[in-house]
Amino acid sequence: MNKQLNFGMLKSCAKFGKDIIFTRFYIRVFYLVTILFLSSCSHDIVLQHESQHNSGSVFETKYSMIFVIHGDGDYLYHDTSDNEYIADEEALLNAKKVAMQNPNAEVFIFHQKPRNHFLFFFPLRDGEFYYYRNGQLLENELYWRDQEKSNLDFEVAAYHRFRKVTPNKLINIFLYFGHEVPEFGGAGYDESYSDRTFNIDDLTNGLKGFISDSSKFDLTILSTCFGGTPYTIRKLGSLSRIIIASPANLHLSYFDLKPLQQLDLNIKDGDIISFAKYFAQQSFNKLSSNVQTEVSVVVYDVEKIQPFLKSVYGDYDSTLISLKDMTYAILATIEHCDCADIPTYQLSTINNGVDVFYRPARFGRSKNKLNHSGWECWKY
Amino acid sequence: MKQIIAFVSFLLMFVLVTPVNAGGKGELQKHFNNVANKVKATENATEKREILNDSFQDMSKALDKLQSTGMISAEDQVGIDGLKAALKENQDELAGINGYERVPDSQLNSFSNYVVQNMEQADSTVTISVVALVLIILLAVLLF
Repeated sequence: MNKQLNFGMLKSCAKFGKDIIFTRFYIRVFYLVTILFLSSCSHDIVLQHESQHNSGSVFETKYSMIFVIHGDGDYLYHDTSDNEYIADEEALLNAKKVAMQNPNAEVFIFHQKPRNHFLFFFPLRDGEFYYYRNGQLLENELYWRDQEKSNLDFEVAAYHRFRKVTPNKLINIFLYFGHEVPEFGGAGYDESYSDRTFNIDDLTNGLKGFISDSSKFDLTILSTCFGGTPYTIRKLGSLSRIIIASPANLHLSYFDLKPLQQLDLNIKDGDIISFAKYFAQQSFNKLSSNVQTEVSVVVYDVEKIQPFLKSVYGDYDSTLISLKDMTYAILATIEHCDCADIPTYQLSTINNGVDVFYRPARFGRSKNKLNHSGWECWKY
Repeated sequence: MKQIIAFVSFLLMFVLVTPVNAGGKGELQKHFNNVANKVKATENATEKREILNDSFQDMSKALDKLQSTGMISAEDQVGIDGLKAALKENQDELAGINGYERVPDSQLNSFSNYVVQNMEQADSTVTISVVALVLIILLAVLLF
């Protein structure tokens, strides 16, 4: 009996000991998870101390690049070998490569992500910011995007917080990756914020924050569908000297960023227009070899396109005003077309200042279309 | 054991974040991509045409069914109309009717890639809600 009692006591002691071990284990794991949770919600993932941002470097900073990558939408695509890609993740990966391979550049990358929740209730930050200088990642922060109207408030503030102040004139490049930025309206641009609007006016208002009154971006790269419309180019042209955009559909964020990886080699004597043409040609080649759909990449020299824009902007704006008043159902039936297909736009200046790299879709109604003017209009 | 299950559940709840991005749009694209893979895996041109044609027809029927249920919003109706129109164009081109040249046998693989890429960048799929897209996939896959 004693034996039985002792065995029983031993068993209960062992169980008690086991419980204590388990309880301690749970507590430790709980602490670990709590720490992980708190760090996931922390404001900054600071990689280097502020003083290091301003430390001297053997590399002179000559280029400043700002990437805004919109990832709050449907960005899935497949290549012909059945590999699946998320376009914004690909753009982010390539932007980081550009940042790391340019020792003479500072690079700001803003990744706009979908809204997610922790434990179904607690909203998580929906933006992530990376700052590279001289090929090194100096800052990585999670942030809240604008909750109502999108004017790139955080993006502009972060730019001014970290940008390198230098007496030398930097070559400024702005890049936007995402779906077509609407010319009006823009509700639902973000899949996870259906009430938030974002359109080309919001984008250009935001961009004003990055540059001073007298300066402009040397190059703007708009990696979206239907970027080459008279309205979009006029708006972006007020803030940029050279623009690269696709007037028609652009297979999801597919501009080839390799030419940006070694700017010192590819931009010779500060010749941006030659670089822009080289960039456009490379993107066109990559797209043409990978997709069966229409490919159009255009370089706009903003000064030289002014006569055409001044001639057509009245008509184009009237069209936009008419479209704004239409119901969604009617609007959805109106397609885009080459401006050259509309008599009002068939002007002698239409080809001035544009370098067009075009190949029609391999199939579909327009497969025999040989040329594109570089300007996209509404078929209305 | 119950303690462990409860704890693991708690832990999973704590660390898991709901993936919002895995919506119906991706599934719709995967559906067309699977069709393209089947086409490419088939040697016979007649079979390739059948696979493509059947997929267009099945998808169109699924869209019709969904529209007739009255379960979807007016905006989704518009988006679905756009998707149906795109499918009809593809179907016509495959058959060489309504002003199209028939897609040559040698280009059927490329045509299947075109269908996928066109769908991936189509405005109509961008404007259809996730719920409607999930319903489309369910109908297309389960009913046909």
